[in-house]
Amino acid sequence: MNSPVSTVAASAVNLSKIYGSGDSEVRALDNVSVDFATGEFTAIMGPSGSGKSTLMHCIAGLDELTSGSALIDGEDLSTMSDKELTTLRREKIGFIFQSFNLVPTLTAEENILLPLLLGNTEPNKAWVDRVIDTVHLRNRLSHRPSELSGGQQQRVAVARALASEPHIIFADEPTGNLDSTTGTEILTFMRKAVDELGQTIVMVTHDPVAASYSDRIVFLADGHVVDEMRDPTPERVLDRMKNLGN
Amino acid sequence: MFKNIDGYVRSTEVVEGEFGLQERTRIPLAMVEKVRNVPGVADVSPDIQAFARIIAKDGKPLGSEGNGPPTFGSVGEDFKGALWTIVDGRFPAGPKEVALDEASAKNGKYTVGDTVKVVAQSGSREFTLVGIASYGDVRSPGGATFALFDVETAAEFLGKPGFVDAILVVGDGTRTDEQLADDIDAMFDPSDKVETLTGAEITKETQDDIGQALSFFGIILSTFSYIALGVGSFVIYNVFSISAAQRQRENALLRAVGASRRQISRAMLTESVVVGLVGSVLGMLGGIGLSSALTALLKGLGIDIPSSGLVVTASTVVNTIVIGVIVTVLSAWLPARRAGKVPPLAAMRSTAIEVAQVGRTRTWIGLAAIALGLGVIGAVIGGLGTSWLGLGILFVFGGTIVLGPVIAPPVGRFLGTPAAKLRGITGVMARQNSVRNPKRTARTASPVLIGVALVTAVSALAASIKGQVNDIFTEQFKGDFAINFQSSGFGGLSPSLADGLNRIEGVESATGIGTLLVRIDGQGRLLTVITPSTIEGNYDIGLVGARYSDLDASGIFLSKDWSERNDKPVGSTIKVTLADASERTLTVRGLYENDDVAGNRVVSREMFAGANVQSFDFGVYVKKTADADAGEVRAALQKAVDDYGQGKLLSKQEYIDEQAGSVNQLLGLIYGLLLLSVVIAIVGIIITLLLSVFERQREIGLLRAVGMTKGQVRTTVRWESVITSLFGAVMGIVLGVGLGWTIVFALRDQGLTSFQVPVGTTVFIMVMSFVVGVLAAIYPAWRATKVNVLESLVTT
Repeated sequence: MNSPVSTVAASAVNLSKIYGSGDSEVRALDNVSVDFATGEFTAIMGPSGSGKSTLMHCIAGLDELTSGSALIDGEDLSTMSDKELTTLRREKIGFIFQSFNLVPTLTAEENILLPLLLGNTEPNKAWVDRVIDTVHLRNRLSHRPSELSGGQQQRVAVARALASEPHIIFADEPTGNLDSTTGTEILTFMRKAVDELGQTIVMVTHDPVAASYSDRIVFLADGHVVDEMRDPTPERVLDRMKNLGN
Repeated sequence: MFKNIDGYVRSTEVVEGEFGLQERTRIPLAMVEKVRNVPGVADVSPDIQAFARIIAKDGKPLGSEGNGPPTFGSVGEDFKGALWTIVDGRFPAGPKEVALDEASAKNGKYTVGDTVKVVAQSGSREFTLVGIASYGDVRSPGGATFALFDVETAAEFLGKPGFVDAILVVGDGTRTDEQLADDIDAMFDPSDKVETLTGAEITKETQDDIGQALSFFGIILSTFSYIALGVGSFVIYNVFSISAAQRQRENALLRAVGASRRQISRAMLTESVVVGLVGSVLGMLGGIGLSSALTALLKGLGIDIPSSGLVVTASTVVNTIVIGVIVTVLSAWLPARRAGKVPPLAAMRSTAIEVAQVGRTRTWIGLAAIALGLGVIGAVIGGLGTSWLGLGILFVFGGTIVLGPVIAPPVGRFLGTPAAKLRGITGVMARQNSVRNPKRTARTASPVLIGVALVTAVSALAASIKGQVNDIFTEQFKGDFAINFQSSGFGGLSPSLADGLNRIEGVESATGIGTLLVRIDGQGRLLTVITPSTIEGNYDIGLVGARYSDLDASGIFLSKDWSERNDKPVGSTIKVTLADASERTLTVRGLYENDDVAGNRVVSREMFAGANVQSFDFGVYVKKTADADAGEVRAALQKAVDDYGQGKLLSKQEYIDEQAGSVNQLLGLIYGLLLLSVVIAIVGIIITLLLSVFERQREIGLLRAVGMTKGQVRTTVRWESVITSLFGAVMGIVLGVGLGWTIVFALRDQGLTSFQVPVGTTVFIMVMSFVVGVLAAIYPAWRATKVNVLESLVTT
């Protein structure tokens, strides 16, 4: 345990997500309850179809739940309207996706500030500067995504997720499209964001190396939470994944 | 029209003017009995069709002036081939009786026994209504009004006593119509100058005349349908580009598994043939439905069209479908080729990618075309024939459309500045999106551009014409009031009206100006008819070295221009043939400069006094004495005009405004038809936006994920639409003003001297194109909010 006073940033309570009905019914998530602590870097792992992405989408307000509830900062998402969810995502959540993270017509700076600009919120200048410096993007601010490398684009995405000082950041396979060097770089930044900037990150990944940057790993299989691991190393994760596969 | 008639006897002498104007020599009434005695003739009836206007019970004349269905006076009598059947009362007999067509009686609120006022060439007169008649099975033919008299009254009141227009003949069935016509012709001496047509011949001739009169309308309609086709082809092009883009992966997959380029292209072209066929057939059915609806509407308005129903010829069907399919296939050609060029690898790529390179060649071709066009226009201004103007304009238009993608980014960015300033990041994105694919933006804006350019040019032309009309009348009309009749060559004010007005106290002079159709050197020409004794100081035609009093019964004034072109100096003679076939030799007594209203030839009313011809005034100009009270004079004039029955009394300024306002009618027609291109433009913008929304699904999903509200999504699409529409409008206005200026300049010989920018119209167009942008965005914006955030994020 790195954080002595642990508060909950987000949680799922008896969360179920069912696609289809009758014979074709698929239980993507079956009565899942899990907490994500503030100031912690949590990874969600599991084989394909385990429901790890669905879990993230449900807690992040991107997908509707079938039953149960998802809480962000104590607020229940299952009762919110589309508009309330949108505002919640904009103000309390940061997102990093695997690819296509940026709006091609906007500059790097505009992309970083996008959630703030959409909400017409005045950016916290000192914080934004610190974020930009942390991800080393100072001299790339006026470039458009097409003029940036894949790693740079992903750094812009990380910066955007951080810029609005969100309550929690969700990352969906953030290094999935990057080579290992660049991937390492991004994961280092995310680690820094937790350690130095005090952020909370939940990351979905299937890569044991990426997962090893986290404080805690939640393992999912067939829509259930099957295990947890603290202070992981790649070897231990790989080992655990092999068992899951069986 | 002549379905019961077997023969039609008329004079061979006719004067035919421009625009289908014609006046045939009348024949003596005595010939009627001569024809009746020809063996094989069962019945005859003299025919007269002349201008006569029925005044309704409330004092307002029936029928519209100038451009409505005509108002006729005719003969109504019991006759075997009668077109008229009495439905109430009887046919008129004697100089005090009249019968009316059913619709006129109804609209004029008349019943048998009422007193009816009718206005004709000889003045206005009151008759007793003795009968109401129907024309075949309709209440009145084509909305025309008819006042029917017995033969003698019709001849005396409508034309000249003892003369009729023609003789209608019904045979007894013992010989063919052709034989009957020959027999009648044989009765006459060549010096009688009459001919006999069969019923079929006169029917055909009448139809041809109507067809000719409608041909001008046809040309205008064709022009607009070509514009609609051109504009439509842009939309079709866009639609097929969209299909190609949406099926890129599918096509790439087909290519990967072995389909050839040609097969992919051909599949798309085949599709375009089917689309063209279906579209043309639907369009044609829609058109037929529309004209049936129009006929029903006209009938509802009291205008019966007596015809055997709607005529859809085989050639109309074939033309519509062939042209529709050809335009569709041609428009789909490039997108189909491009679809074929998709590399098999594209199957592995994600969604369609917006390609947005604008080649340098395009810039050069566009600039070259514009330069060439401007060169031609410059040459026209420098003296090259005006007919070249069209070519020059076409090049400039074409060049601008080619250059569109090059101009779109800077102009779009400029136009988007307010949106970016006002709407923050959504405005910025809208602005960026609108110039993201310059080719597509330019293509989408092209229909707007074409429509706006035409409207602007026509408005500029109209504004200039109005200014000109204003100048002309302010300068030439020296009086205080005018009585106006909107004439298009048929009917007008009786010359007796001006005579009556001159007797009113406080009127210094009232002078009528009218027209007379004559033949000069075998060609029909309109002469302007004036009354020299009253026109002095009232209306100034700008006589040079001559006075109005120099114009006697054997004299003629010529415009300087016409005199020079035809080598007819003062003192030379001109021979004219009147419509009654009599000839006059006129001596040129003087020249004048203001030919805008007076035309090229002016004669005195005395010249044809006593001749059997028709002449009406289109206006009576009144000057009051210096000390008379304008209000009193006007009241007295109004009473006289009301007594007469038709014509509109106007002050000088009102008259000028009304003359200038007649240009508005033309404008109304053109605006109405251009609405069509606006509709197509809206459809074009909708389609392009849908394509853009489709292509940007992932982007929209991402934006929604990071906190863009549905409202903001809509705002972005809406502003993109507005910027595109405004881009088209701005380009169109620039082109249109240029085009208008060019046309006005080219027409400077026709008297157009001042070019005026239609500021009001321009502002209106900008506002409208804004509205068009907003409207066109409604559906695509709604679609954009329906983008599934998860799906667009998860799809790889």
